[in-house]
Amino acid sequence: MKNILTVALSVVFLASATSSSSADPAAGKTVFGAKGCADCHYTDGPAKEKTIDDQLAKKGPELWYAGSKFQKAWLAKWLTDPKPIRPQKFNSLTEENPADHPKLAGADAGSVTDYLMSLTSADVASGKVKPKNNPKGRQIFTKKMPCSGCHQYTGRKKNIVGGRSGPSLVEAGVRLNPDWILAYLQKPKVFKPVKMMPVFVGLLSDKDMTNVARYVANFKPKKK
Amino acid sequence: MKKLMTIVAFAVLAFTFAMASATAEETAKVFKFYCSQCHGLEGKGDGPNVTKDFPVSPRNFTNAKEMDKLSDADLKNVIMDGGPAVSKSPMMPPWGKTLTDADVDGLVKHLRTLCKCKGKQG
Ligand code: HEC
Ligand code: HEC
Ligand code: HEC
Repeated sequence: MKNILTVALSVVFLASATSSSSADPAAGKTVFGAKGCADCHYTDGPAKEKTIDDQLAKKGPELWYAGSKFQKAWLAKWLTDPKPIRPQKFNSLTEENPADHPKLAGADAGSVTDYLMSLTSADVASGKVKPKNNPKGRQIFTKKMPCSGCHQYTGRKKNIVGGRSGPSLVEAGVRLNPDWILAYLQKPKVFKPVKMMPVFVGLLSDKDMTNVARYVANFKPKKK
Repeated sequence: MKKLMTIVAFAVLAFTFAMASATAEETAKVFKFYCSQCHGLEGKGDGPNVTKDFPVSPRNFTNAKEMDKLSDADLKNVIMDGGPAVSKSPMMPPWGKTLTDADVDGLVKHLRTLCKCKGKQG
């Protein structure tokens, strides 16, 4: 009996999840405004930051290319249960992430997801980056370049290793669009004209960038 | 006429000072934004990235003895091209594609104020 109930419940849950994900972007845009999301996130591109002060004045990351950056399934889930992405508090070197991001209820999360996924950038080519644990990409990420000095990822013993100033890349393959990772490395001015991460254009070849993007995009939950 | 000259001289002087201090202020901002994440807000090598599994300690810029071994040209070189360019760790990033030449010259001066040292000459 208990089993049947669980099954019935999951069916209802699944049905409601799919119905909410078919909501429309316009409704999501309204929710985004009404819930105060726009107080901390701007959604109209191109990038506005010109100076360090501009970057530090922001209260949250820009979302004008969210549809090219995130994976839809991750976004829908995160909005209902936002877990810290950046180990440090946004724009702070001294404080930890307070883990207090506003939450959205199921239906609102569905429509806001549709709205955010509609915000795309023409600067992200699709189908270029196939996630793969490739030795060249790993070499760049962990040895040749300082990526691991600023980004957390899952180490060999399934422990979290790496630096804290950049967004955590633990399970980045579930969160980020692989093609966006490459575009982010290749076109720093488009997405982040002013950021604490060094520009690698001219230091890494397009091939190297593709390899490291493939490596990062392969960060997925390990099967136990 | 003499009065005018004095005024002009003062104006030039004031202008130069304003420029110089703005640059130092700008440099402090650049240092805090890009370098503190590893080298720490006061340059002591203790930024938030330096956890127990960070492979090498970022240079402590207040250590005059170590900083004195490096010339200004050495400093500029490692900031532009990263650790491997001077046979040091790749955890020290290359900033040449991120910062302007003027930014880097400013940083070299800033590091000298942190170590209170002149560095290797010539
Ligand atoms: C008080 C400011 C604030 C408000 C209000 C706010 N956010 Fe955020 N948001 C942040 C910060 C700071 C982060 C970074 C969180 C982290 O790294 O863990 C963030 C991260 C995000 C991200 C991930 C972005 C990325 O690049 O990692 C999304 C998506 C997002 N917020 C959507 C929303 C939505 C939708 C709302 C409205 C319900 C909202 N936010 C309200 C500050 C805010
Ligand atoms: C000096 C520190 C530093 C180094 C070195 C560094 N990053 Fe970053 N990285 C950051 C910071 C800080 C951000 C966030 C920038 C922002 O949103 O303002 C970032 C953002 C990113 C993002 C986007 C993550 C997101 O959720 O928005 C990716 C992907 C990334 N870095 C990959 C890399 C790779 C690959 C390398 C090595 C080739 C690297 N990083 C080296 C600090 C660093
Ligand atoms: C990702 C972390 C990281 C960031 C960010 C970083 N550094 Fe470093 N830096 C290091 C490490 C680690 C070393 C020590 C390398 C070694 O001893 O092998 C170092 C060493 C140095 C040295 C000494 C080099 C030598 O020959 O001993 C200088 C000078 C320096 N950094 C300047 C800077 C400046 C200026 C910035 C900001 C533009 C900066 N660093 C940003 C990690 C970093």
